[in-house]
Amino acid sequence: MIPGRLLRFLAIAAALILLPIIDGNPYHIDILATAALYALLALGLNIIVGFAGLLHLGYAALFAIGAYTYALLNLRMGCSFWLALPISGGMAGVAGVLLGLPAIRVRGDYLAIVTLGFGEIVRIVFTNLEEWTGGPNGLMGIAHPVFGSFNFGVNSTPYYGLLVVLVAATAWACAKLRGSRMGLAWRAVKEDELAAGCLGIDASRMKLLALGLGGWIAGLAGCVFAAKQGTITPDSFDFILSVMILAMVILGGIGSVTGVIVGAVVLSAAPELLREFSAYRMLLFGLLMIVLMRVRPQGLFGTSVSPPAR
Amino acid sequence: MSSTFRCILCALVLSPLFAGCGKGEPVVKIGFVVPLTGDQAAHGMDMQRGAELALEQAQAKGPVLPGFKLELATLDDARNPAQAVSAAKRLAADGDVLAVVGHLNSSCTKPASAIYHEARLLHVNPVSSNPQISRQGFDTFFRICPTDDLQGPAGAHFAIQRLGAHRIFVLDDMTTYGRGLANEFLKAAQSTGAEILGHEGITQGEKDFTPVLTKIKGLNPDLIYFAGMFPEAALLLKQRFKLNLSARFLGGDGLFEPALIDLAGPGAAEGMYLTTLGGDIRQVPTAQEFVKAFEAKYGHLGAYSSYAYEGTNIALEAIRQAGRKDRQAVLTAMKQMKQYPGILGVHTFDAKGDTSIRTIGIYTVHSGKFEFVE
Amino acid sequence: MTPGELFLQQILNGLTIGAVYALIALGYTMVYGIIQLINFAHGEVFMLGSYMGLTVFLLAGTIGSGGVGWLLLALCTATVGCSLLGLAVERVAYRPLRQAPKLSVLITAIGVSFFLQNAVMLGYGAQDRYVPALLPAVRWGGGAVTVTPMQGVIFGVSLLLMVGLQGIVYGTRLGRNMRATAQDPLAARLMGISVDQVIAGTFAIGSALAGVGGLLFGVYYSTINFHDGYLVGLKAFTAAVMGGIGNLPGAMLGGLLLGLLEGLGAGYISSQWKNVIAFVVLILVLLLRPHGLLGERLSERA
Repeated sequence: MIPGRLLRFLAIAAALILLPIIDGNPYHIDILATAALYALLALGLNIIVGFAGLLHLGYAALFAIGAYTYALLNLRMGCSFWLALPISGGMAGVAGVLLGLPAIRVRGDYLAIVTLGFGEIVRIVFTNLEEWTGGPNGLMGIAHPVFGSFNFGVNSTPYYGLLVVLVAATAWACAKLRGSRMGLAWRAVKEDELAAGCLGIDASRMKLLALGLGGWIAGLAGCVFAAKQGTITPDSFDFILSVMILAMVILGGIGSVTGVIVGAVVLSAAPELLREFSAYRMLLFGLLMIVLMRVRPQGLFGTSVSPPAR
Repeated sequence: MSSTFRCILCALVLSPLFAGCGKGEPVVKIGFVVPLTGDQAAHGMDMQRGAELALEQAQAKGPVLPGFKLELATLDDARNPAQAVSAAKRLAADGDVLAVVGHLNSSCTKPASAIYHEARLLHVNPVSSNPQISRQGFDTFFRICPTDDLQGPAGAHFAIQRLGAHRIFVLDDMTTYGRGLANEFLKAAQSTGAEILGHEGITQGEKDFTPVLTKIKGLNPDLIYFAGMFPEAALLLKQRFKLNLSARFLGGDGLFEPALIDLAGPGAAEGMYLTTLGGDIRQVPTAQEFVKAFEAKYGHLGAYSSYAYEGTNIALEAIRQAGRKDRQAVLTAMKQMKQYPGILGVHTFDAKGDTSIRTIGIYTVHSGKFEFVE
Repeated sequence: MTPGELFLQQILNGLTIGAVYALIALGYTMVYGIIQLINFAHGEVFMLGSYMGLTVFLLAGTIGSGGVGWLLLALCTATVGCSLLGLAVERVAYRPLRQAPKLSVLITAIGVSFFLQNAVMLGYGAQDRYVPALLPAVRWGGGAVTVTPMQGVIFGVSLLLMVGLQGIVYGTRLGRNMRATAQDPLAARLMGISVDQVIAGTFAIGSALAGVGGLLFGVYYSTINFHDGYLVGLKAFTAAVMGGIGNLPGAMLGGLLLGLLEGLGAGYISSQWKNVIAFVVLILVLLLRPHGLLGERLSERA
C-alpha cells in the first residue's frame, strides 16, 4: 500500500470508530450497522458478479443458510457465536459451490434464473420444514454473542464494531484478491472464457471458487444477522433482498471494492432516511435509483465504461 | 465533476443522521408502527387512521401531558421483520417517545417487542394474536386482542359441535399468524375427534388456488378451515364457488373485513363462517361513538381500526397517569392501571400482558352481509 | 369426482393460469431477444394493465352500463395505455443507458418498478380492488368438471395474440427490422434501420401484450392489487427462460408448462411445495437444455 492510500485508510478507520462515539443515538448506529451488514453482503456478491462475472439472483439464500446455521447450532446444541461464525460461513460456502456444480453449466442470464430458482427453493424449504426451522414463525431466542464477560445484547453498537472489522477485512482481502493471480484468472474468465481456457485456466474451477467465497461471506453475514436480530423468519430472505444486494453492487460500481461499500451504504440508508415521507418513501426510493443510475451509468465508483453489450 | 459528485452524495446521505437535533417546543411522542407500504399497507393505513383519531380526540379534550406537545411518530415496517426491528430501534433511540403502539403482523411484533423491552418502553399491541409473543416474559408488553389459542379452539368447537363437521381440510397462508392459528385449530379439532384430511399452506399474494381446491373437492370434506387474510380468502371462496365445491367454509379474524364479500362476490361468500376477535363492533354500545366519528371522518371502517384506536388510547391514558416525561413512570402507570374501560370492553391485563377480553365472536355471511351468530 | 375427472380439471386449471403467464412471458422474451436485457419493470406494466381496465370498468359503473362493449373498450385502453407506458419506461430507464454497462439498466428498471408499484398504491389505494365480472358467471360442465367462459376467453386471446405476434415478427417490415436488430444491431444500423425506433417498437408491443394479460387476469380473478406485478412477473420471467428466452413459441410453451406444473404440483403433491417443484423442474430443464426448451444455441456475446 502506498503511503497516501495508507493515510486515507487510517482516516476512514478512525472516522468509522469515532462515529458511534460522537453520535451516540442508537438508531443512527443501527442504520450504520445495517449498512455495514449490507456492505459485507455486497462485497461477497461482488466476488461472484464483479470478479467472476456470474449474475447471481439468489444471494439471499446463502445469507439465509448462514443465519439458520447459527440459529440451529445455538438453539439445538448451545453452540457459541464465535464457533458458529466460521461454520455458518462454511455451510453457506458449501451451499454456494453445490449450487454452482450444476449452475455453471448454464451461461449468462440462464445462470441468473437458476440462481433465482435456488433462492426461492431455499426460502420455501425453510418455510415448509416446520419441525426444524419453526416454519413461518421462524426461530426465536437466538443467543447474542458473548465476548469475554461482555454480552452484545440488543444494542447495535457492538455489532457495528464487529461488522466494521468484518467489512474491513473482507474489503482488504478483496482488494488483494483482485490483483492476485486468482483475480486475473477471474477477469480472464469473465472477459473471454474460451481464451482463458486456452491459457490453461480452469474456468469451472474459478467459477466454483467465486461462488464458494461469495457464499462464505454471505454465511458470515447471516450468522451476525441472526445474532443481532435474535429472531429470524424466512420472509427476511426473499427475492427482493437478493435484488437489493445486486443493486448495491451495480450502483456502487461493479468490481470496485470501495464502490460496492458505498453502494451498500447509500441503498440501505436511503429507505431509512426517507422514512419521514412514510407512504411515499418507496416511490422516492425508486426515483432515487433511476436518477443515480442516469447520472452515473457506470456506477458511483465504476471507472471502466465497457463497450456496449453488443 | 465525479469527485465533487461523490462528496456531495456522501454528505447528502450522511447529513440527516446528524441533523434534526434542533430544539423547539418540548415534545412527547407515541410511536406507531404498522405496514404502510407493501402488500399489507391497506390494513396499516386503516390502523393509522384509528390511532390518529384517538390522538385528535384526546387533544381536543385538553393536553395529555401539560407543557408538552403530543405527536404520533408513525413508522412503516412493510410487514418485514428486519424493518420492524429497525423501526423499533429508531423509536427506542428517540427520547421523546414514551410508548409504542404497534405492529400488525405477529412476525414483526415478536422481534420488535424485545427492543421495546430493552428500552423500557411501554408496548401496546393491537392485533398480533400469536400466543407465543406474550410468553417471552417481557413486562413492557400489553396486548388488547384475544390470542389464537382461544380463537383456534373456538373455531374448532363451532365447526364440530354446531356445523357438525367431521371431515375437515385445513389451509393457511404460511405466515406467523396463519400457521399459528391453523395449528391451534388443528390441535383442538383433532382432540375433539374430527378427521383432518390434510393441512396445506398457500402463498400470500398468489391468485390461483383452483389446483388445491380441486384436490380438496376430490377428498370430499364437510368443511374447509382457512387461517389467513381476506384477499386470499376472497379468492378461495370465489374459486370454491366456480368449482362447485360444496364443503362449508370457516375462517379466522383475518377474514373479517366487508371487502371480503365484495371481492368474493355475494354468491360465493354466502353462508361462510368466521371467528372474530371480540364481538361485533357495531353492536358494542361503548363503541358506537367511535364508529360514528370514524366513519364521519374517513368513511370506511377497517377491520383493525378499532384496535389501533383502543391501543393508542391506552398508551395515552398511561402517559396521562404518569404525568411526566419518563418512560419508567409510564410503564409503572400502565402496570398500576387495574382496569381500562375502552370501546371494546373493560380490559384487565394478566401477568403476561394479555387482556381479559377473551370473547371470540362467530359470524356468517347472510344476504351479502356479515351477520353475528354467537 | 372420479380420478379421471379430477385430472382433467387440474389440466384445465393449469392451462388457464399458464396462458396468462405465456402472455406476459412474450413481452419478456421480445425485449430480451432484441437487447439481451431482462426488463424487470415488465411485471409492473402488467399490473398497470389491470388497473387501466379497472378504471374503464369504474367509468362503466358510473354511467351504469356493462357488457361486452365495455370489455372491448377496456381492452383497447389497456393495450394502448400499456404500450405508451412501455415506451415511457424505455425512454426513462433504458435508452439513456444504452452505452452503459449491461447490468446498469437493471437498477433503473428496478427503480421504475418501485416507482410504478408505489404510484399505483398511492393513486388507487393499497387495498385489493374488485374488478366487476363482465361475462356471466356460468359454469360449463355443471357436474364434476367445470370451465367458465372467461377461461375460454383467456385461452383464445392468448393463442390469437401469439399467432398475431408471430405474424408481425415474420411478416412485416417492423418485424424484419426487429429480427435484424436482434441479430446484429450495428449491421442493422448500417443498413439504415433506426435501431432506436425498433427497440421502442418492441417495448410497445411487449407492453401491450402485458396490458392485455393484466386486464384478462384482473377480470378472471376479479381482485387486483398493486403488488400483483411482482409474483406474476417473476413467474412469467421463469416461463420465458424455461421456453428459451428470445424465442416466441418458447415463451408460450414455457408459460403453459409452468401453469401445468403449478396446477399438477399443487393438486397432486402439495400447494406449499408447488413453487419448489416448478423451480426444480426449471433447473432440470436448463441443465438438460442450457438454452431452454426451444431456445437456439447462440454464441456467447461479450
